[in-house]
Amino acid sequence: MATTPMTYSPSQGAERRQKQQQMRRMSQELDWKRSDGRSFHQCRPACLQTGATNAASGSAYAEFGATKVIVSVFGPRESKKAMMYSDIGRLNCNVSFTTFATPIRGQGSDNKEYSAMLHKALEGAVILESFPKTTVDVFALVLESGGGDLPVIISCASLALADAGIMMYDLVSSVSVSCFGKNIVIDPTAEEEACQDGSLMIACMPARNEVTQLTLTGQWSTAKTNEAMELCMDACSKLASIMRSCLKKSANLSS
Amino acid sequence: MATSARGGGEGEAAAGGGGGGGAAAEMEVEAYRRLFPVAYFERHLRESVRLDARPLASPRDTSVALGLVGSADGSALVKFGDTTMVAAIKLEVMTPPAESSDEGSVAVEFYMPPICSPTVRPGRSAEVAPVISKQLSDVIMSSGMINLKDLCLINGKASWIAYLDIYCLNADGSLFDAALVSTVAAFTHLEIPLVSVSDDGRVVTVPGELEGKTKLPLVNKDKRKLMLNNVPFSLTCGLHKEHILVDPTAEEESIIETFVTVVLDTLGRVVSVYKPGGSVLAYTSILKECITLAKRRAQQLRNILNESVSAMEVDKSS
Repeated sequence: MATTPMTYSPSQGAERRQKQQQMRRMSQELDWKRSDGRSFHQCRPACLQTGATNAASGSAYAEFGATKVIVSVFGPRESKKAMMYSDIGRLNCNVSFTTFATPIRGQGSDNKEYSAMLHKALEGAVILESFPKTTVDVFALVLESGGGDLPVIISCASLALADAGIMMYDLVSSVSVSCFGKNIVIDPTAEEEACQDGSLMIACMPARNEVTQLTLTGQWSTAKTNEAMELCMDACSKLASIMRSCLKKSANLSS
Repeated sequence: MATSARGGGEGEAAAGGGGGGGAAAEMEVEAYRRLFPVAYFERHLRESVRLDARPLASPRDTSVALGLVGSADGSALVKFGDTTMVAAIKLEVMTPPAESSDEGSVAVEFYMPPICSPTVRPGRSAEVAPVISKQLSDVIMSSGMINLKDLCLINGKASWIAYLDIYCLNADGSLFDAALVSTVAAFTHLEIPLVSVSDDGRVVTVPGELEGKTKLPLVNKDKRKLMLNNVPFSLTCGLHKEHILVDPTAEEESIIETFVTVVLDTLGRVVSVYKPGGSVLAYTSILKECITLAKRRAQQLRNILNESVSAMEVDKSS
């Protein structure tokens, strides 16, 4: 295969651009219908399940609309030889995408920052002192990317950590919002994310009311930032209760 | 020392198996299993039973589900016990090389992401992944399952390249067999999008609702499904001493001496036989036995695949 021919996906181009322009026009108005029929402040139905892969110490599968994520947790196990001695445990996070996760093949690997962001979001919640000298590996695979990938990965990873029995201060749940002109839309799809004016993502520990990670991009006024944060925090605490009931269900099943 | 440990361990195993052993006895069975895996395994074989309570010649529960990946043109999820594979096909357009101007092509890649097994770390790909990639693409090409001419769009100008990506979500043995079933299932499910050629010579898709309305000529109106001719199925048999173990798990694969993978096509012809090293010589009689087992397994897999196809059709019509 020395001369690999240039290939392209036939569905790209005109069709997609048209769709985006349509979204854009809609967002100028005060009210429009979201493509999946949700209202602005309504999240996608969350489907969560622990024990997705049994080779790992703990694992979880999350499906929010079209976004599908699997997270496996390995360890605590021996740290790599090259690592320095450490009194506290290490958390190692890695996020990868399947080649078919995105509409155009292989675009998912553009999100290289996700591994570091996942680490930062979970670091504050895990009691690292409980596994000194060892490493806990958190590996995420995005099967399908349908928008709001990082928040789904974070929530799913904290569920997998709980499934593995790693000690945490609280579950971490995460939700993002997109801003379109005057409107704030919660839990955006990939289509909506592509033409948003700005976004805000919060990862928090609802029981302690502590935020582990907050990212904000685009133009936001103070009032709108406050509104968006309150919206996110509220959604996070609801998501955490869903996660908790999922853990209880699997614990009941196994006992 | 080994013998004395084995003797003690057998006692414990019997106690645990009888159901009368307390928590302490069970713990010791678990420890024995880890400390003396071969002895533990052979003790089971003497009773003609496997570590997961299967008889020697029976494969694990197998399931096939089609069309789980919305962003792909064809996809399938296959489970052999705990071994889980997701295969997805995405079609892209390429200019065919001059020497085969009326043919498309298939690019196969097998991935083992770090979630699938504790031994795979990110950044370092698993050793077996490229081997399985190569074997799969060899089997697809040599079995004649796909007629590459069916992937041609416009002679010399444009043809399909089918990117087949298989992800192992949970590695618990017999990876090649599961990957091959997921490959066949994904190709069975594949739906080729309707396309036409735009003014600037690029191939563009025609959405279903515009089928009758577009001014551009449709290129592949009657070529929306791929015909599969000789569908290959495979079976991996573990060989240990004089025993043949069908469809081994990861734990068994780490213990057994060697294995033989037999690939058969629809007519029961042998497409490939693969025996990677190992100390047991695969005698003719053993090989024949493996081929017989593979024939039975291929028939079983064919039935499971047909069931999943009709299940999907029922879903669609309801």
